[in-house]
Formats: sequence, C-alpha cells, structure tokens
Amino acid sequence: MADVVVPVLTAGIGVRNLRDIDVYRADGGYEQLRRAVLELTPKEVADICSGSNLRGRGGAGFPTGRKWSFLPNNGRPRYMVCNCDEAEPGTFKDHMLLEETPHQIIEGILLGAYAIGCDHAFIYIRGEFKRGYEIMRDALEQARAAGFVGENIFGSRKNIAFTIHRGAGAYICGEETGLLNSLEGRRGEPRLKPPFPAVKGLYGEPTVVNNVETLAYLPYIMRNGAEWFAKCGPARSPGYKVVSISGHVVKPGNYEVAMGTTIRQLIWDCAGGLRPGRSFRGVQPGGGSSACLFEEHLDVPYDFDSVTKAGSMLGSGAMVVFDDTTDFVKAAYTLIRFFSHESCGQCTPCREGGHWIQRTLERLLAGGGLDSDVDVIKSAAHQLTGLNLCALGDSIEPFLASVISRYEDQFRAYVPRPTAVAS
Amino acid sequence: MSIGIDSDAAGGIHPGPDPGEAVATWSPYVVRAGEPFDALYAQLQPDIERLIAEYEQKRSALIPLAQLFQDHEGYVSADAVVAIAYLVGESAAAVESTISFYTLLYRRPVGKYMIQFCRNLPCMLNGADDLMAYARGRLGIGHLETTGDGLFSYEEVECLAACDRAPCAQVNLEFVYDLTPERVDALLAELRDGRSAIDPLPQTRKPGRTWKVEQDTGLKSPGAMGVSSPNNAGGIGDASGRAMFDLIVGRPQYEQRSDERLLRETTLRVEPSENGH
Repeated sequence: MADVVVPVLTAGIGVRNLRDIDVYRADGGYEQLRRAVLELTPKEVADICSGSNLRGRGGAGFPTGRKWSFLPNNGRPRYMVCNCDEAEPGTFKDHMLLEETPHQIIEGILLGAYAIGCDHAFIYIRGEFKRGYEIMRDALEQARAAGFVGENIFGSRKNIAFTIHRGAGAYICGEETGLLNSLEGRRGEPRLKPPFPAVKGLYGEPTVVNNVETLAYLPYIMRNGAEWFAKCGPARSPGYKVVSISGHVVKPGNYEVAMGTTIRQLIWDCAGGLRPGRSFRGVQPGGGSSACLFEEHLDVPYDFDSVTKAGSMLGSGAMVVFDDTTDFVKAAYTLIRFFSHESCGQCTPCREGGHWIQRTLERLLAGGGLDSDVDVIKSAAHQLTGLNLCALGDSIEPFLASVISRYEDQFRAYVPRPTAVAS
Repeated sequence: MSIGIDSDAAGGIHPGPDPGEAVATWSPYVVRAGEPFDALYAQLQPDIERLIAEYEQKRSALIPLAQLFQDHEGYVSADAVVAIAYLVGESAAAVESTISFYTLLYRRPVGKYMIQFCRNLPCMLNGADDLMAYARGRLGIGHLETTGDGLFSYEEVECLAACDRAPCAQVNLEFVYDLTPERVDALLAELRDGRSAIDPLPQTRKPGRTWKVEQDTGLKSPGAMGVSSPNNAGGIGDASGRAMFDLIVGRPQYEQRSDERLLRETTLRVEPSENGH
C-alpha cells in the first residue's frame, strides 16, 4: 500500500504543524515564490506550468497553462481567483488541504498570480468551512507579517493583494462564473459563456479561476521542475492527484497517488477494500456528477482520459464505493435531490427536470410507482442534458442512467405488483 | 397561517421578513437613541470599513457584511438589510435578492445551536437516514424547525465535505464527525448544559417555529433555491405576489383579500364570450 501513495501535497500532514509558517518554511516553503519573484519573469513561471502539463483538479481537467494563455493582453487589470468552494458529494480534499496546509495554498495562489501578472488574488472559501477560513486568515496574517503578501513582496517592488472571501452556502458557486457573481455580491447564478472568465471575469476584467489543489501543486512543480510532474503517469494527464475515497470502504480518506494508478489499487491498496464479507457493486470515480463504474472497470487507470474512456469522468477525484448492501434507487434519489436542491433555477431543463425526476423517484420509493416510471426517469434525465448554462443540469443523468442500466431490477422491484384477485 | 410560498424539497426559499418583525427604520442620517441596532452599527464601523476596503467594488462586500451582522444579531434583520444596501450603494431589494440565494444567511431568527446534518450520498451510505430520524426524535422537531425554547434549530443539508468521517454534521458550522446515536445524545446533552466548546449563536429575537417557509405539497414545481415557482406568474393573487404584498405592507391580513380576488378573477376567465363559444 505504501508504494501506491505518494505524498506531495499531503506530505507532513498529521506529522508536522504545517499551519505554522516556520514549519512550512523549514520544508522549503515560500522559497519558490521568492525565486519566481526575484529571478524569473512571469512568462518563465507560466512556461514551467505549461511544461508540466498540469490539468485542473477541480473537475473539468482543463490544462492550467492553456487557461492562463487565454488572458488577453489588453492592459486591463487581471484577477486570480482560487476556488475553494468544495461541495461535490464525496469530495473532501480541499477541506483537508485548507485546514492542514494553508501556506502551500497561499504560495500556489501567489505563484499563479505572479505568472499571469495580476496584482489582486482572491480565495473563495465555502461558507461551511468556518474553521478552515479562520486557519487561512491566521496563515495569511503570518505571511503578510513576513512580507510575502501585499506590497513589495520580497523587496521586489511587486504588489499582490490577497483577499479571503467566504461563501454563504451554495453548491453552484463552485461553478466558476457562479463563483464570480457571488464574489461580486450577486446571486451565484452561472453566466452565459462565452465570454469565458479569461476574457470577461471578475468586474468584467480578465480572470483566472483555479482549484485549490491545482494551485497547491505549483510550488512543487517549480521546485522539482516541469519534467518531474510531466513524467509521472500518462503523458496527457500526468502528475499526482489527491483522491477522496468514501462510502463502503474500511479506511475512507484522502490518498495522494500518481495519475494512472488503477481504481482497484485505490480501493483495496489505499482504502483497505470493502468491509468483511461484502462484495463490490460499483464505484463513482469522480463525485456525484460522474457515472457509476462496475467490476469490469476496476483495472481502469485513474487519470482524466482513461476514466472518460471508460464512460465516466475523473471530476474532482472523489471515489464513492458501493457494496452489496447498497440500495441504488435510494442512492440515485439522494443525488438527484441534491442536484434539484442546488439548481440555481435559471435554466428550465435543470430546474424542472431535476425536480420532477426527484418527485418520481420519491413516489417510487414510497411504493406508489408505476411500471412506466423507470422509463420516464431515464428519458427525462436524457432530455434535459446539454440544455443548460452550466454543468449542474448535465450532472443529473450520468449516475442515474448508469445504475438504471446495470441495476434496473432494483428500480423495478419498487413498483408495486398487482395482487391477484381471489375468484 | 403561513405564507404559501412554494419551496423546494429542502425548503431553501427566502421567506422574507418575519411578520412580527418591525419594519426597517434605520437611516444613515439619524442616530436613534437607545436602538440596539444603531449601537451595533457604530460598534462595527471599523469592521465594516475594513471589509469594504478589501474589494475594488463595494458590492463585493455585500455577503461579508451580511455575515458580519448575522454574527452579531443571529440573523440578518430588516435594519441590517437597509444598512447593507446603504453601505454597498445598492437598493434594499438587491440586497434581499442576493441574501435569499444563500442557505447560510438567515432572514429570520434561528436557535442558539444550528444543527445541520449531512444527508448526501456518502453519509447516507453510512446510515445518515436512521441517524437523522433519531436526532429528530430526540429534538422533537423536524427539518427546518426550531425547538420551542429557541435552543436548537435542525436542518438536513447537502454534502459537508467530510465524507471520510461519515455520518457528519455541523453545529454552528463546527464539524462533528463519526456520529452514532450515542454521540448525538452526548452532543445534545453537552449543548444543553453549556459544557460544549461550541459557542452559541447570538439571539437578539426569539425564533419562530421555522426560519424558512414550509414545503408546498401542491402539484407545482417549486422553482429552485430562492426562486419562486415558475408556475406562479407573480402579482397579487398568487403565493409569491401575496408574499411580496405582505413584505411591502407588513400585514398578513391581506392574504385573505388576495385569495378572494384570485377566486373572482378565475371566475371571470371561464365565462363564455359574447358570441357563445
């Protein structure tokens, strides 16, 4: 097991108090920021990131260097926003990183901000992470006192302001344009794209929104070189990944592995496998929005392209494991209720579709379902996909469709059978 | 009688101000002697200025300001809404609009301990359904309700990002992990006796039975979080129109009148036209 887990971001967690700036600096912390600001041009930092082929860890897996390259050179102010609005069902990596290693995140954000040439960086922290917010606030004070944040960083005459913004409870604010609206003091409703945030983002200016984990890898890529990251795992989605494993496993938790580790290794070697006497029924490889994978997919390498090829997605890297005690109708209902609850209500297919599928499942679970319900649910979920401003509506179908195709009998079993009339 | 605004399954709907709450009378130009809100406003002035200075545009401070007032009043009061509107240079309606979107901003008073159980998939796989039923039984209240003594509010929420230690919950946004019925009992006892390390929320007014509006079970789509039903066109005569009316007038008795008007209008619409069709 130990040889599967490769601690990079997670190194030292639970061993050293990395919330203390001195402990983080003893590990080489803030060295890369100093080097970047004093010795490298922003373009050189961005090139190192592009060379590492780092892909976004927040869900979409978009190459980070490419995202930065979309910023127009129009002389307008630019913004760097770090997305710490983690709320995807099954994901808890950013929660851990925020509470355990805030300085790593600050350094990553500042490196990104320097690379794109922005002078005001934000971190948007989910409202529920009150403790994480306090830890980040204290860490930022330490970094400010040390002269790493704010004006004249490392005596370089470079200024990067840093604002911690707390959300107030809305899953949709994890969508980047919803997040920007929320940061502007509006309802967190996603915007029509294009224009993408890189062109028109916060306050209408070019903006980059990156996930916590994505940015936290930057100091290590700078330290060990782009090659180190790019050479690890498959060439098209290389590097390391913190995988949150939960559900029916013996040791749920965050495990940092090289991309391309198989799903089987993750479940059995890292998370200790299933509970005694239980058998495997499925796994969601990428949070609540991803389709369920089954026994035949256990040897799929865990990287963006392979998981997509297997018919699901890597998403935010959250594995939810199901054993033979799982009621997949209830599981599907739980997720549909979530999407229905978190829909911002702008797009009719998502707002209405999610709600009606939820109600149909509710009726089915209550024992009042019809034979046609299963087909209606399937068809409704399929029809609402692709018609929404953001990915939330499109997240309703994958899990539902995948478990209906495999465990349709479980759904049908909820339909009450007509009792024979005694003659 | 509650206002019949449609709400989604979790009741994530903005109920507007409490009918019992005073209409906002705060003004930036007059200091009302002896008013707690005016004293609070003066006390928070440094924090307010610091928050607004964090951003290039004042409106960005809207949510942080609402959180600031809620941290001191326990909820976002009518005076606070007007004050925030003044501070960020927007209308009170714009402030209400934003606040209504977010589940952690309360427009009505809540209990001293807001207990939020996660009901999402990883917790559900680890027995959250039974655990929540147990907690509801112990508290004697349901989803989105506050106990009669104003001590506990109970809500079932979506994924709290602590799935490795499921089932989990938050009390006043502090995590409690690995819950079992015994731990729920111990937690509630600690909170009741004041032995817990978790600080109570401030409570400047006595909470009602719920801080949200109960679920509409009619055959209507609820709209999503904070969005009134798309089947309600708005205006006097439908639920959201009535709520708006109450919000403006501040008196619940208009509910009766708008119901009557709805009846009359419906009758008018089904009358046959002159040429007999």
